[in-house]
Amino acid sequence: MSSNIFDPAFWSRLQFGFTITYHYLFPQLTMGLAWFLVYWKWRGLRTGDELYNKAVRFWAKIFGLNFAVGVVTGIPMEFQFGTNWAGFSRYAAGVIGQTLGMEGMFAFFLESAFIGALIWGEKRLGPRYHFLAAVAVAVGSWLSGFFILVTNAFMQHPVGYRVEAGGALGIASLSGYLLNPWALVEFAHNQMAALVTGSFAVAAVGAFYSLRKLHRTQAQLYLRAGTFVALVASVLVAFPTGDQQAKMVGKHQPVTLAAMEGRFQGRSSAGVALVGQPNVAARRLDNPIEVPGALSFLAYGHFGCYVRGLEEFPQNTWPDNIELLYYSFHLMITLGTLFIVLMAYANFQDWRGRLESCSWLLWVLMLAFPFPYIANTLGWMTAELGRQPWLIYGIFHTHDGYSNVVSSGNVIFTLIGFVGLYFVLGVLFLYLVGREIGHGPDKVVTIQNRSGQISTKQTLEDQEALVAEL
Amino acid sequence: MIETWYVIVSFMLIAYVALDGRNFGVGLLHRMVARTPEERRQVIAAIGPLWSWHEVWLVGFGGTLLVVFPRLMTSAFAGYYLALFLILWSLILRGISIEVGGHIMDRLWQSFWDFVFVFSNILLAGLFGVAAGNLIRGVPLDANGNFSLAFFTDFRVRGMVGLLDWYTVSVAVFTLLMLAAHGATYLTLKTGGPVHARSAALAKLLWAGVAPLFLVVSVESWVVRPDLFVHIMHDPICWLGLLLLVVSIVMLISGFSSMRESRAFFASNLLLGSIIATGAASMFPVMLQSTLQPENSLTAYSVAASRSTLLIASVWWPMGLGLAISYSVFISRLYTRKVSVEGENQGLS
Repeated sequence: MSSNIFDPAFWSRLQFGFTITYHYLFPQLTMGLAWFLVYWKWRGLRTGDELYNKAVRFWAKIFGLNFAVGVVTGIPMEFQFGTNWAGFSRYAAGVIGQTLGMEGMFAFFLESAFIGALIWGEKRLGPRYHFLAAVAVAVGSWLSGFFILVTNAFMQHPVGYRVEAGGALGIASLSGYLLNPWALVEFAHNQMAALVTGSFAVAAVGAFYSLRKLHRTQAQLYLRAGTFVALVASVLVAFPTGDQQAKMVGKHQPVTLAAMEGRFQGRSSAGVALVGQPNVAARRLDNPIEVPGALSFLAYGHFGCYVRGLEEFPQNTWPDNIELLYYSFHLMITLGTLFIVLMAYANFQDWRGRLESCSWLLWVLMLAFPFPYIANTLGWMTAELGRQPWLIYGIFHTHDGYSNVVSSGNVIFTLIGFVGLYFVLGVLFLYLVGREIGHGPDKVVTIQNRSGQISTKQTLEDQEALVAEL
Repeated sequence: MIETWYVIVSFMLIAYVALDGRNFGVGLLHRMVARTPEERRQVIAAIGPLWSWHEVWLVGFGGTLLVVFPRLMTSAFAGYYLALFLILWSLILRGISIEVGGHIMDRLWQSFWDFVFVFSNILLAGLFGVAAGNLIRGVPLDANGNFSLAFFTDFRVRGMVGLLDWYTVSVAVFTLLMLAAHGATYLTLKTGGPVHARSAALAKLLWAGVAPLFLVVSVESWVVRPDLFVHIMHDPICWLGLLLLVVSIVMLISGFSSMRESRAFFASNLLLGSIIATGAASMFPVMLQSTLQPENSLTAYSVAASRSTLLIASVWWPMGLGLAISYSVFISRLYTRKVSVEGENQGLS
């Protein structure tokens, strides 16, 4: 790829990359959070305990804000297939259009029809139907993810298609396309990662209230549910889903695997680098510290297997930004490993009954919530940078996909527009979510000490707990 | 097959305009029908829980267009590049203004978001109006089926036209007025108290204004595209559209004179639908007219996807629509009440 500033393909890539990365910050939380709402709603239904309904009411507000920003930032994604990627759409609409259309008709409709009922309809619907509204929203959000991942999986590993009379692509086997093995693995991996984001957010809010000694029963609920789901999901992200994903890359995109590992020369019992920077000019990994044989094992299931290096492939099939790809992949793995360690420890402390009294752990849990967002983003960067220089792997070049009637200046203009608008949107979102967390799930009362000064803000429940402690 | 898909895509467009059009109209009239901060909240609450449900019909329309008429989507979207991004940004501002305005009970905060709400809706209604004008007038399509458009050129309707000219601007004015009338009719149905009274009065006034403007725009359209009117005169489907138009006008008048608000609102939707349907039928098979050479025009046959692609879409699309209709039934049963100025009931029954 020529990254010169007059190349509209470069700017269209940057614009799509920026807008999709930003957009995906929101759905990953909704997809993760949705099942917490379903679970709590169900528990509320079964036990009649107000605790769970209170949790749903609180998180539904944050869910609603997330959903709204997700919707408004999602619409530009679909439109960019026409505005910026006309070449790609002309070529592949017969295939990818099917799933993009299905997403609208099956997933978005479901999700958006019931979101209002979930947020405002508790009284009107009664517990049973309100629970069903939560299920509908959760199913809608995951279906949406599925159709998008099938579309992406086709770009990574095209199956089920054929070239039609006019030279454009069409579907040869719809089931083959929808059940692309790459899509199934990618979906599992991605949805587990979304659960990690959701559960880290739930745990972080729980930790925050615990440290504040506010909303105690709610804090306990969030902490325990959050850390438990986070541990399960973090493990599942790595194994089996992440592992399968890596094997899939090794099998179908060997050049990408070599680039992800910064491996220029092939060798048997290849290692995974813990430290090291790819030096593309010198074609080597600078100052590597490796775990020998690990890459061979991860990619092909045996420590002795031969892993091919970049030099064994023609240079025009190399991913065009090897450094960024390498860093994205490695940082994602590092973060994923840390997530497992942190959440294993948190669950261990919970088992000992010391989760809420371990103040440093609460601090870490509270501050850890941004990192799953980073890890998710890095995972997507690995997938999409690794796909280059292809738009559809092996059959269609990225550079053939952009809209050639749109000048680079126009794309730069709209990209800057998005950056500005999304910055404002981000500030607004953080402010409002922060406010909701500040308000919390319970009504807060201010209590005055004897001289009439307001000493602390507490809920009635917290006061009772304090009295009990005294 | 292609004809059926042309009908389906037109239907999706009508559904979007009828559903989201009410929100544009409500936005246009926000300041006029609501005088106090509480009333402004009431008006927002009348559309609040459902704006995303309405907006996703645009996604449904876009997704259907991509799979069924890919060449049209790529040509038009790339050609209208900047205008389309203006629409996307306005949609972002509009959605956000609805969503965040109610989060903080502060007058300054709410006034600001109410302003954003009104501003983005005016822009959206106007831009969609311009788009409708462009669709009728045509764009400077070259022999490859591509074009790129200036915002305006010499304001004439032939040759190297721009986005804006005397014709598209007048269609935009007409659209603004009609969507305002549509929104006022919706508010008459959905609100109580003083907002209701003002909406009802405004709705009658606006519809009275739409009528002469419709005649003006029709005459203008006849000047710009005489061929469409020849088509209408010879095509029974267009007669059906015109019949529906007459029926909807009668229903609208009877709805307002007997204050049957749901009848009036139904008629308002039907009116929008019959105008778009008649227009779409009169243009068929051309989907995008070329102002340079008639033979450069994109027809439904030249932009359609392959037969097998259409067949596959014919399998899942009706299922999706069936589900969407069942959600509509659920929604219409859930939100039956009027939104009151005090209540935070969001129209839930």
